[in-house]
Amino acid sequence: MRYHRPTSKADALAVLAAEGDRARPLVGGTDLLVGLRHSTIAPTWIVDLKGITDLPEPITLTEDGIRIGPTMTLGELVAHLDVRRSFPALSEAALTVGSVAIRNRASLVGNLCNASPAADTVPALLVLGAVVTIESVDGARTVSLADFFLGPRRTQCHASALVTRIDLPWPPAGTGSAFQRLTRRRGVDLGTVSVAAAVSSDGRMSLGLGAVGPKPLMAEVAEPVDLTDEPQLERVLDQLLNVAAPITDVRASREYREAMLRVLGKRAVLAAAGRRTRMEAA
Amino acid sequence: MTDPVKSVPIPGGLPHEHGAVGQSVTRYGGVDRVSGGQRFLADLSFPGAAQVALVTIPLGCADILGIDTSLAARLPGVLAVVTAEDLPQPVPRFGVSHQDRPVLATGRVNYHGEPVAAVVAETLDAAQAAVRAVRVDYRELPGVYTLDEALAPGAHLVQDQSIRPDDPKRDSNVLKDAHYAWGDLAAAQQRTEAVVEHVYTFPMVTHFPIEPGGTVVVPTDEGGLDVYSPVQHPYLLQRTVASLLQLPLNKVRVFAPDPGGGFGGKQNPKYEPLMSFLAQRTRRTCRLVLSLEETFQAMRRAGCRIKARTGFTRQGEITFHELDADYLIGAYADVAPRVMAKGSYVGGGPYRIPAVRITARAVLSNTTPSTAFRGFGSPQMAWGTESQLDAGARVLGLDGLQVRRRNLVARGEAFIRGDHQATADGDWAQSLEKAAELVGWHEPLKPNRGRGIAVGIKPGATSGLSQSLVRLLYDGSAIVYAGTSDMGQGARTLWQQIVADELGTPVDQVNVVSGDTGAVPFDLQTSASRSTVFMGTAVIEACADIRRRILDLYAETTGVPAGELDERPGVLVTADREMPLVEAAREALGPLRGEFIGQGVSRLRGRSGHPLGGDAAFYEFNCTAIEVEVDPETGELLLTRHVSVGDVGRELNPIQVVSQDEGASIMGLGHSQMEQVLVDEHGRIRNLGALDYRIPTFKDVPVELVTAAVENHDGPGPYGSKGISEGALLCTAGALGAAVAQATGVVVRDLPLTPERVWSAIRAANADRSAAPRPE
Repeated sequence: MRYHRPTSKADALAVLAAEGDRARPLVGGTDLLVGLRHSTIAPTWIVDLKGITDLPEPITLTEDGIRIGPTMTLGELVAHLDVRRSFPALSEAALTVGSVAIRNRASLVGNLCNASPAADTVPALLVLGAVVTIESVDGARTVSLADFFLGPRRTQCHASALVTRIDLPWPPAGTGSAFQRLTRRRGVDLGTVSVAAAVSSDGRMSLGLGAVGPKPLMAEVAEPVDLTDEPQLERVLDQLLNVAAPITDVRASREYREAMLRVLGKRAVLAAAGRRTRMEAA
Repeated sequence: MTDPVKSVPIPGGLPHEHGAVGQSVTRYGGVDRVSGGQRFLADLSFPGAAQVALVTIPLGCADILGIDTSLAARLPGVLAVVTAEDLPQPVPRFGVSHQDRPVLATGRVNYHGEPVAAVVAETLDAAQAAVRAVRVDYRELPGVYTLDEALAPGAHLVQDQSIRPDDPKRDSNVLKDAHYAWGDLAAAQQRTEAVVEHVYTFPMVTHFPIEPGGTVVVPTDEGGLDVYSPVQHPYLLQRTVASLLQLPLNKVRVFAPDPGGGFGGKQNPKYEPLMSFLAQRTRRTCRLVLSLEETFQAMRRAGCRIKARTGFTRQGEITFHELDADYLIGAYADVAPRVMAKGSYVGGGPYRIPAVRITARAVLSNTTPSTAFRGFGSPQMAWGTESQLDAGARVLGLDGLQVRRRNLVARGEAFIRGDHQATADGDWAQSLEKAAELVGWHEPLKPNRGRGIAVGIKPGATSGLSQSLVRLLYDGSAIVYAGTSDMGQGARTLWQQIVADELGTPVDQVNVVSGDTGAVPFDLQTSASRSTVFMGTAVIEACADIRRRILDLYAETTGVPAGELDERPGVLVTADREMPLVEAAREALGPLRGEFIGQGVSRLRGRSGHPLGGDAAFYEFNCTAIEVEVDPETGELLLTRHVSVGDVGRELNPIQVVSQDEGASIMGLGHSQMEQVLVDEHGRIRNLGALDYRIPTFKDVPVELVTAAVENHDGPGPYGSKGISEGALLCTAGALGAAVAQATGVVVRDLPLTPERVWSAIRAANADRSAAPRPE
């Protein structure tokens, strides 16, 4: 196995183009090293992106939103005040990944590209309208995160490409977001079920769902919902959660996942809506 | 020689007022342990060592039809590929109670992960490549993986009958049973006013030492073997290897680097015999470092199903208690039959019960061999018995504290009656009351919260032998040779403290040598929380021996008649003054210098005919009280307060007592809340590894974790101490179960109390409630 630490994006992309499946990009390595240790992957090239000088900065604030580069760690993300203020669901989600030590290494982009159906940050990024940029020697293109995932461990970023940035638009005024996750224990665990919610000022909402399908899922309602109308909210949740197709595995039964999706979905919506109200008042 | 139980006065006498004993002396080797400085087995360097990897098959039970090693053996760097055929025939077997475990699987795989071949290669990569190249031809057998399967008529027999030809139960999977009974059951039932009858289950759990461990064997130039293995019982390992390889004991030297956590799992030999044969065969140093996954396949606690029927008077006095307990042990005996016998011996709990009938069985299955695990069979029984007390209390309108107050034995009162009675060796009610007070038993409860209280008891060692040497050097520093394995409990710190007080040497000038059978005298084992009592007594004896020798030599050197001298801890008493012992020693030694060597022995002989082989040297008694908040929508538990109180005799090092109690409390929450080894229909472990086998993290620790000790200086160990390392997990499950029941109104009788299990129980109760006709 060869470790390569390019200093330019072009060099990295050239190696990936030449080696394809045999190469794996490395940022934090928190998924990569587990795969190597358990021999679920056997790359001959490890391409470390941390030495590249012409990739987007870890985080840039623009007029349109924030831009996150491949080397942004989850530790930096959770500590970032603008992220906390404007994208609370993302902050909360990132804070559930692994432990402090893991977050200090793991990258947000890596969490996406690993493409686990249970990836903690993905439901939040989905409801926040993330757009990813994929680059290869053939050029760059952008896709919405909702279209990025193809299935378990499969994305539109093929072996010869890199995700070079994630763009998150500033949420419209008065929008609130929140993240909820259920685990088997409180510290360092994979999500049994996770839900992110974004609720707009007029009551339109979207949900991002983790660990309840072959890939992270998203559902939204275009019509405003009166959150004080319990039966209406329950009906909307029914409709939103309909996309989920949880299975029974060693972590939980299908029945439990379905029930928890409902509980967490409602909690996430109400938490997001509560933040929205506070923002309006402020 | 001192018998730690019968010795009067207690070894070491009363604690010294200003001594090191009783102080929270900093852990010996503690800084290295937490800073990465400590060298565990995997950190030791063996230049030129060959690496070993094991070949397994992905089934729990199968006949091995053939093993083709030809391709693997030809791979570069491969030194040997060894199967059972390459070992002496018949393949040697070993074990603690039964010699039933083959060095390598022979003809049949009896549990998932049992090695069928071993590769020795120049590098680990080469060894692993060769493992993949070994072709094993096998046929799956209808293995038994649960109690019901193992006990069904016509069930597959885990062990061939030829392994135990003289055993009348050889045609079943019951390896051993135990029966304890006393009192007149019929008469007791006559005066019974309430009966509760339930079934409880306790999961298979694995020890999960943070250091998986491994073994390195070095063939010596003298034809012997140096065996490196982080074990709790180096001398047992020495005996096992010597006997299997037909070597004299002095040709087998066991080095036991500090285990990084043992919990009972590192007591008995596992792969060391195989590694010894490999080293002997290849004449190379052979190194095997286990993965966490491999430790799951090498050690676990027996699961258990307890059927319990308990009678009470209206006032809450227990009238009778019937228990049928089946321990699901693994494919080989290891020490599991004793776990069953010892755990069920105290199955009735520390209560005054007129009539008891306990039947327990150790049931073989095609799973990881179960072995000793902190608590040694008691936590399983306590889960059943403690839950029964709460079931009775609920029927009678009592609370958990009241029902225990009514039944707990007083000091000197028998809680096991009949031919081999056992009596309370402490004022156990003090622990119960203290725990109730600390948990705020009578404070009002917030919504969705509940409290539970439970007690647990475990017999300490029933026989033992610890030998120790202490050298007092010319400059007043000292070296202790004590074979106790320090796996995190901090045993060496206690030897430092004892020597400091007994010889008057500063604590930091005492060092301890352990983990080397070639240099350190015999110690039977590091188990059953015995070391403080047994090795501690031996160290005190060795110090007393040194004091006598100093007195004699001082008399000889100075001409002062020995009759005019006396010695006490830390001092030599002359006619006109008390001399610091170290000063007296120097004067006695004179210009030739030299040193004093003291020997101490602590021996507890067993008692023939006793079902446990002898009376326990002491009992560990604990009371745990838990307050929990349950999320009724998700079933998640938040422990708001967790109190553990132990009856410790005397705290020799308070911070170490707290550390042991906190560790055991958290470990108890593991099997109570989240831990379970899950096995599929082919006997494969479904949650093999850290990802899906969950142990508590620091975020899972209760909001308030409180431990306290009752000290009555009434133990058989140094200065009135008792062993304390297991108490705080004995009854965790019972306390938590009762707390959850109070919080939710729903009783769960199967461990662990996972969020999903609690949620399911709440949902089922709600469904029953809505289905039931409403009371008018």
